[in-house]
Amino acid sequence: MKRKFKSWGTFLLSITLVSALLLTACSDGKSKSGAGGNGDKGGKAEKVELKLGFYSSAQSDAKMQELIDKFQSEHPNITIKTESSPYNQFFQKLDTQIAAESAPDLWLSDGVLVPKYAERGVLKDLTPLIEKDLKKDDYFGLDFNKDANGKYWGVPQGIQIAVLYYNKDMFDEAKVEYPTEDWTWDDLKAAAEKLTKDSTGKYANDSAFDKNKVSQYGLTFFSITEGWMTVLKSYGGGVLDETLTKSVINTPENKQALDWIVDGMQRELLPTPSDLKSFQSNMAPFPSKAAAMRIGIYARTIDANAAELNYDVTLLPKGPDGKRFSPVIANSWVINKKAEGAKGDAAWEWVKFWATEDEVQKEWASLGEAVPVKKSVANSEEFLSGKPENKQAFLDSFEFAGTLDVNAVWSEWVGKFNDNINRAFEGEIPADQALKQADTEVQQVLDEFYKK
Amino acid sequence: MKLNRTRKIAGYTVIILSSLIMVMPFLTTVFNSLKSYAQYTKVPPQWIPDPVQWNNYAEVWKLGPFGQYTTNSVIVTVLSVVGALFSCSMVAYAFARLKFPLKNTLFLVVLGTMMIPPVVLIIPQFVIFKSLHMLDTLTPLWIIEWLAQPFGIFLMRQAFLAIPKDYEESAKLDGCNPIQIYWRIFLPMCKPTFATLAVFTFMTKWNEILSPAIFLTSKENFTLPIGILSMAGQWSGNEQYMVAAALMSLIPILLVFLFAEKYFVQGSNSAGIK
Repeated sequence: MKRKFKSWGTFLLSITLVSALLLTACSDGKSKSGAGGNGDKGGKAEKVELKLGFYSSAQSDAKMQELIDKFQSEHPNITIKTESSPYNQFFQKLDTQIAAESAPDLWLSDGVLVPKYAERGVLKDLTPLIEKDLKKDDYFGLDFNKDANGKYWGVPQGIQIAVLYYNKDMFDEAKVEYPTEDWTWDDLKAAAEKLTKDSTGKYANDSAFDKNKVSQYGLTFFSITEGWMTVLKSYGGGVLDETLTKSVINTPENKQALDWIVDGMQRELLPTPSDLKSFQSNMAPFPSKAAAMRIGIYARTIDANAAELNYDVTLLPKGPDGKRFSPVIANSWVINKKAEGAKGDAAWEWVKFWATEDEVQKEWASLGEAVPVKKSVANSEEFLSGKPENKQAFLDSFEFAGTLDVNAVWSEWVGKFNDNINRAFEGEIPADQALKQADTEVQQVLDEFYKK
Repeated sequence: MKLNRTRKIAGYTVIILSSLIMVMPFLTTVFNSLKSYAQYTKVPPQWIPDPVQWNNYAEVWKLGPFGQYTTNSVIVTVLSVVGALFSCSMVAYAFARLKFPLKNTLFLVVLGTMMIPPVVLIIPQFVIFKSLHMLDTLTPLWIIEWLAQPFGIFLMRQAFLAIPKDYEESAKLDGCNPIQIYWRIFLPMCKPTFATLAVFTFMTKWNEILSPAIFLTSKENFTLPIGILSMAGQWSGNEQYMVAAALMSLIPILLVFLFAEKYFVQGSNSAGIK
């Protein structure tokens, strides 16, 4: 009797497993035929449903919906179904959707993540479409999505480019001249010395200055974009070579740049990563009036304006040989490789609508989140007016702008690089040792992906 | 007598001080929700907001459909709690009292699944719900609870095992079948455990981020945590509004706690009798 029950149990278990398998197998077949069905429908009735993914924010969602409505009224055959998530969850979800073959037809990608999806074969190559429909000279930053083989994987939705922010009140109080476009990083440090203040009000160039009680930093400094990459590159260094598969970390130029940073942090003119922990966020020191200067992308004007700072911006300083570098992040529209036929055409229509129409560009620019992609709009009075006064500096910086050595494993190598270099920043290991270790570990990350 | 009084005073001082320490972070949150952005990021921090920004709370309601988010959260949470109580107690009853083949092995398997991190399960779940056409609906969020989750099974089974067999034997003599025993004997005797599981499920579901973030795509289907997170955006924090929204989303949890408290007390009382 007992034996019989045992075999029954096994039987039931196997039935469950088999039906589970069948269920998943069926679902695959269904979804494929479903997609095909939609495509056919598009051909006949010219009706297309487009799944559009973007990360939401309280400020921009209404504007996005407004633009979507405008697009739909201009293209009555296209219905847009939006898929939005909070920024951090968006990419977590996207990875799940890609694994389950139900990613949106096109989505807004963080600029630094475009190669991650492109090199894993998820995105459509936009090179022929861009050549056909977009005049490259009319736009900023198309090339920031170009890979080492000259292919384009996305069209920028808005551009983040870094300049030097400075708090005028703090400069006035310390009687220091405002930064100029001729500054070198050493000029910046000399000014930072006069602007770094301890809690008793003594500046860093005073012998009684207590560097353990800093209440105001000369320059706030955080991670890659608004931190080390800008300095490394203007000193002639960098992280990856032009193929973006090989580390060039251990060089004399990088050593020189790193020495500049570490010296600044040891003297507390710049906050170390652990100093930043005492702030509401890593971005907080400048808007909360605890730093006189920052390397900041365009979006940082939002917080600076919200905090009602008396501030302005100028070009980032030059390196010792006169080289400049301004990091760029171009959040971009990318199209799913699986969006073919009518769907693919509709997706490209949306990208064109976004990039080419002046009105759309102006509407989006009015949110103040990014520099418009279209040069004519970026150069218009509408964009250039308002705070900060010298917005022109953002546009002038395009002359020496570059990406953050972005490739398919960007997040991973930035993590490794930060782990090592932060130890040098905290004074735990010497700069050359940090560079050497970072070089080995970053190369290992690169090899794991590219040497397969 | 005097000594007794000094002792009392000392005792109360300790209690008041430690409860102040506990309340501080909460008060900080309340105060932060009433600051402007400039006040919020001020260094050194200004504890009490001046002037008080009462309109932060009104602003939150303008920044997103919070009524809709709340409704969604309530639907998911209520259905989840009912489902968890129903399914977990049924399964637990079977594991605690019924005789069937491979019982202990199956129970071990159930416990084993507790060790799988949710992140690993999310892709298979996504695939399953996609094939059932349940994505971007609230269903996947609560239906999972109707399929008996291991923690609840374990909790209920332990409670059921503690009930002396004499009760059900006498019930059997009176002609009860297993369902009746479950319904008339086990359920009433384990109220505190039910309350515990209900509160636990409520809290988990109310605060859940991963599953709703993955399964939901339309704004009108978002639950509260996702709604609050989606206020932030990539570049701008809106921190003071998020704090205000988070505080408002706390109110139902507080209510549930106040309501369920009496069951906790009951639980400890009956433990004393046994």
